[in-house]
Amino acid sequence: MKDTVDLQEFVGGFIAESDQLVASAKAHLLEIERASEANQPSAKLVRELFRAMHTLKGLAGMMGVQPIVDIAHALETVLRSADLAGGQLGSRACELGFIGVRAIAERVRAVADHKPVPPAPESLIDELARVDVSGNTQSAPLPVVASWDKKLNASERQQVVSALEANRKAYTLMFAPSDQHAARGVSISSVRASLGALGEIVKVAPRSVPATDTAPAGLVFEILVVSDADVEALARAAATTPAQVAAVEIEVSSAPALESLPATEDELTPIGRSVVRVELSRLDELQEQLSALVVTRFRLERQIASLSASGNDIRVLREIADSQGRQLRDLRRAILRVRMVRLSEVLEPLTLLVRSMVKPGIKEARLELDVRDSELDKAVADRLLPALVHLVRNAVDHAIEPVVERERAGKSRAGTVRIESREGAGNQLVLSVVDDGRGIDRAVIARRARKELADDDAVLEVLTAPGFSTREKVTETSGRGIGMDIVRRIVASDLGGELSMTTKVGQGTTFTLEVPLTIAIIDVFSFECAGQPFVVPVTTVEEIFELTEQRRIDSPAALRGRLPVALLERRGRPLPLVELSKMLRISTAESAASKALVVRRQNEPLAFAVDRMLGRHEVVIRPIEDVLARVPGIAGATDLGDGRPTLLLDLVELAAGISGWRTELPS
Amino acid sequence: MTKLHVAFKVGTAEYIISSDHVVHLEAYAGATRVPGAPEFVAGLVQVRGKLVPVVDLRTRFGLAPGEQTIDSRVIVVKVGTRTAGLLVDSARDVLRIDEEKFEEPPEMVRDQANGFVRAVTTQANRLLFVVDVPRVIGEEIAHA
Repeated sequence: MKDTVDLQEFVGGFIAESDQLVASAKAHLLEIERASEANQPSAKLVRELFRAMHTLKGLAGMMGVQPIVDIAHALETVLRSADLAGGQLGSRACELGFIGVRAIAERVRAVADHKPVPPAPESLIDELARVDVSGNTQSAPLPVVASWDKKLNASERQQVVSALEANRKAYTLMFAPSDQHAARGVSISSVRASLGALGEIVKVAPRSVPATDTAPAGLVFEILVVSDADVEALARAAATTPAQVAAVEIEVSSAPALESLPATEDELTPIGRSVVRVELSRLDELQEQLSALVVTRFRLERQIASLSASGNDIRVLREIADSQGRQLRDLRRAILRVRMVRLSEVLEPLTLLVRSMVKPGIKEARLELDVRDSELDKAVADRLLPALVHLVRNAVDHAIEPVVERERAGKSRAGTVRIESREGAGNQLVLSVVDDGRGIDRAVIARRARKELADDDAVLEVLTAPGFSTREKVTETSGRGIGMDIVRRIVASDLGGELSMTTKVGQGTTFTLEVPLTIAIIDVFSFECAGQPFVVPVTTVEEIFELTEQRRIDSPAALRGRLPVALLERRGRPLPLVELSKMLRISTAESAASKALVVRRQNEPLAFAVDRMLGRHEVVIRPIEDVLARVPGIAGATDLGDGRPTLLLDLVELAAGISGWRTELPS
Repeated sequence: MTKLHVAFKVGTAEYIISSDHVVHLEAYAGATRVPGAPEFVAGLVQVRGKLVPVVDLRTRFGLAPGEQTIDSRVIVVKVGTRTAGLLVDSARDVLRIDEEKFEEPPEMVRDQANGFVRAVTTQANRLLFVVDVPRVIGEEIAHA
């Protein structure tokens, strides 16, 4: 037996995980830097960065990459002091942070490339050990929040006090866990998450109390939060009533604050415990299982109906079936929720993108995100990001003017690219990418396109035409258009959304992307039937086989010739074969079918004859919304890349329609 | 009061619809047939990422199916929350038309047109049929 684990197995995971941690560390550093510059230090951000460093250190330790452990450890120490100083991280400390994170990233790369990992840079470790995080260390005793008097450490107290001094509000809330909460999925972690979205949680302190109706578990959590949200919203987030939310005010306390603190729930929570990373394919699998469950449920319903029809007492069964139905619905909703990611996290890399494009004194720009707590399907997010990268890169490259030009025009030195989000109608997310750059000159585009352009829509039409670029010279640009065809393709064809634009010369351009919050992506087979391509979900197809004439058997069928059904022998068993083209009534010609797709309906196999198979693809399915084209057996449509809709067939539902054929026959 | 109308041809007759209904015009390069859809539905097209059913007005108006030509257009219309395309033989003009001069269609026209023509008007010696857009795109089906 081996007594050591082969670490090489874990290298892939280590690299993926570390890359992500490095990326989020950079993003946090950016935010901390900005917050510190604005004189609004955020302990929350510092702690998040601390956690990223801590996790990195743990991972590197496990892999035996000592240099990364050393750098992460040194950074951790600095961040701990920053936390104690209420989130204060001076500019030099920030810079060292960036250097440190970059040094870690280089070493992760070395591991990935199987190269020797250079030791931690001594000068960096030295300076990290010496750097003064705050620059203005506070030594005077602070005013104290009386109700929390003994529970807060210096940094937490500082956090509350500076928030109150900045005219922000702090509140104490009470959350008492109960079975009812648990049943609704409300726990201290979910409360923590909802409150975290509304503000900064300073402290969570569990307290045991005598068990009462309001605190059946004999436990309450006291939560101290700094937030700009109103009392109702906070109460809602904490699953409690507004009466349980109390504003905190500064009171001057005579007692010195520093003493040993009781362990709080905060400190007892292991780092990273609340997040699990799951491969999207596993969620897809889960969703497929769920669909199977839904089908079973339909069968159950049918059985109940027939039991009831034959005079049985089904009341109890009914009750059980109803509650099962509700549970299925909840499960579906829960799975959908799992697939949702925060837009703010998706957009994080863009901040770094903009930062990397800035040339101080020449071209300055910053990215502002105003996406609040918008969420969207991971599958949508993954497809959308490249479009946003294009738009943001174009905005910085071409729309935002160089510093001199901006100053001449009386604009701020640094251009701003802002991404805003809001929820649109019908499960749509509306994203705007707004820049304050030079705008797009319609006349220039019209000249390039050699036609008149009536409005911004027409301009966008030209910009998004494949291959159109507004570059006039390699170095100078009149607007933008590089990759705009890709942006349109992603938004419109891939996601079924809409792209629009408004622009004003000298003032800037806004691109608006309207995309669905979720999309259905499935694996399909494509095939041709009577010259028309169709797709079917891979999961519904049990088998595909070659149709050869000798397999057809004659059966005593008075209806043969009228019903598009023949009989095949397949592995010694009869298998009904339906001519799909006749079933769909798209062709009456003698069939050119060469392949058969087998589906199972009510546990009976049924084959559909099609002309030829085309391939297998992963596609985005769009629902057919309009009544004029909503037909049983057609579950939606997709774009196989030719810009035309290709219909998604539900062969099982079509099979159900065969009984419909029977009733149409003359008796 | 005059309002903008889009004028188009189906067969030998000229029709107009209020530009309020019109989203935009598209060249027609065929649609995806939808088996089982009403006969007058030429199929589905993709317009800016959305699936839009196309109503073949020749079929809808009971004319013989015509050839698809370079003049064929799809007029994308919006009625309430629905979006649909109208396949016409050609669409060239946008006319400014006084709606107060709309007249009741002659009885014969009304009977034959199955309610698709809600008024007639003339402009510069052109006889124009005013199309009832909701009816043409099958509002009665939507509400059935």
